[in-house]
Amino acid sequence: MPLDEPIALPSYLDHPPEVAARVQELAARPVVMSVEALTRTFEGTNGPMTALSRITFEVRKREFISVIGPSGCGKSTLIRILAGLDYPTGGQVRLDARPVVGPGADRGMVFQGYTLFPWLTVKKNVMFGLKMKGVGNAQAEKIALEWLEVVGLTAARDQYPAQLSGGMKQRVAIARALANEPRILLMDEPFGALDAQTRCSMQAHLLRIWEKVDVTVLFITHDLDEAVYLSDRIVVLGANPGRILEIIDVPVSRPRREEQFLSGHFLATKKRLEDLIHRPEVALANAAPPTVHAA
Amino acid sequence: MRDRGEELDASSFDPMAEPVRPRLLAVRQPLSRRASAIAGVLAFAIPFVLWCLISYVPFLWHPLVLVTDAGDKSVPGTHSYVSEGQLVDRADFAARNAELARAGARQARGERSNPIYLQPPHAVGRALYTAFTTPPEGTGDVWLHESLWQSCQVIFWGFFWSALLGLPIGILCGTFALFSRLFEPFVDFVRYMPAPVFGALAVTVLGLADEPKIAIIFIGTFFQMVLVVANTTRTIDIGLLHAAQTLGASRRQLLFHVVVPGVVPALYRDMRILIGWAWTYLVVAELIGEKSGLSAFIYQQQRYRHFDNVYAAIIIIGVAGLAIDQLLAFGARYLFPWESGNTRLARLARGVRRVLPDRLAPARVI
Repeated sequence: MPLDEPIALPSYLDHPPEVAARVQELAARPVVMSVEALTRTFEGTNGPMTALSRITFEVRKREFISVIGPSGCGKSTLIRILAGLDYPTGGQVRLDARPVVGPGADRGMVFQGYTLFPWLTVKKNVMFGLKMKGVGNAQAEKIALEWLEVVGLTAARDQYPAQLSGGMKQRVAIARALANEPRILLMDEPFGALDAQTRCSMQAHLLRIWEKVDVTVLFITHDLDEAVYLSDRIVVLGANPGRILEIIDVPVSRPRREEQFLSGHFLATKKRLEDLIHRPEVALANAAPPTVHAA
Repeated sequence: MRDRGEELDASSFDPMAEPVRPRLLAVRQPLSRRASAIAGVLAFAIPFVLWCLISYVPFLWHPLVLVTDAGDKSVPGTHSYVSEGQLVDRADFAARNAELARAGARQARGERSNPIYLQPPHAVGRALYTAFTTPPEGTGDVWLHESLWQSCQVIFWGFFWSALLGLPIGILCGTFALFSRLFEPFVDFVRYMPAPVFGALAVTVLGLADEPKIAIIFIGTFFQMVLVVANTTRTIDIGLLHAAQTLGASRRQLLFHVVVPGVVPALYRDMRILIGWAWTYLVVAELIGEKSGLSAFIYQQQRYRHFDNVYAAIIIIGVAGLAIDQLLAFGARYLFPWESGNTRLARLARGVRRVLPDRLAPARVI
């Protein structure tokens, strides 16, 4: 076979047995967050502009779900609405069946920009949410130190954010969000500003935390590898207006390892994402072939 | 030696080569420590040397003549008024000597001199010293250091009331759009009225003592302060507010645990600038009602034509302002360790707070 021939990839819909079992098991779990016909229009100078159109999906307990899409597809607007920092003009978001009406400690968030409080030490940053809830100093400190241990930053507990690297800052931000024990952790391109090496190690780090800690993650990204590597499911958004093109069950087995980046199922999923993002009309016209259940 | 014809590529990098010296005029580049220190000294040295040159080099400027010998006083003429000890224009002095020459009389003599209002450095230096050592001339006149203390008190209270009201109102305006709309248009309107125009009013209402002066400083700084503080408060990173909200902070907690600690270092810098404004208004404020403080001292010395004392007082105002500013700048390093990276001090402060009983420890989030 000539070297530059494309490799024959399996279909991204072809689930190996352990993946198929996991997909079924996930679908049976209780729903943590449900997004129902969510629509957001902005009043622009040239009339109303629809940023999100009838977005509907559910996030299940301890699931790792990613939202991916081209720039301008409204993925940031979506996560801001889920966090309660923005409001929908149609539809609603429900967390444990209760409608979301504003920001709250039940939905932790990690932002792309560094949002650690510069005047607080690392430890006090992690204690912030607990203090807001009225947890006593000693108890808050104990919990904060536990979370700093989880993210591996115990040694930096008395440093100020300005003294940390980008990756360390985001680890503190993760610890700070998790210390509140949120029902869901919303992550808005948290590694987008990091260099490639740091991003890779942060992804592996996040997976280890997620395996250890009982938390559901909704992760926004524009990085295809990141989405496939981390997620159980990927919500693919299209632009103008922002809408769901497809929700993909990732056919890569867990626990994830870096070697899987070059596995057939990984590459097939990545190829499908690429087609959906860059050539949505073509990709959707070649509609998903009938689901093939592996053996 | 490197071959001259060699291509300039990565391999031509010589780690042992002299580091490139930073150039003195490089766009947006820091100066070397040495150059920076020298330039800082020159900032004061250059004006001082210019002052010395004009004062001591006789052929530089010196537009007048100090008459040491009036010559033959009996010779009449249009310039016969020239007499010993006078400061006269060089042209008048020459005209008198021409008159004397025509009469064949003894010539007048004198030395070139600067006007009385340009005092040489040594005279001002002496005045700085004597102001603190010799009693004031008139009865009821105050010593220089007494007037300085009086001025400092007026500045302190004027600025104190201004900050007491201006900081909270400014922070509220910068945080809540409603307060901004309620206060800022009116504040903006009053801001354009020069504070001294309220002088007569202040004296009528508050009397002749320090109160109207404090009021003028208050009016001069308060309205500026509200706007400056509001604008600074608006510069807080909205991401921090969003993060705090997702961590469960209530509106009140956002204000006291995010907005306030987030902008305090910047507000502190604003206050340093606004104290400068207070010093500017001091001079007008002290001349209304019963004159007081350094301005009264300057006004009085100017009437006695003691310009050396006038300069001494002006220099003291500059030194006092600079000293207060430097003191505040130094304080910032202790107060905001996260900005200077001075964690050693922060650890010390935390240690002290740990030793104090909980009730006494200042309830800060830091």
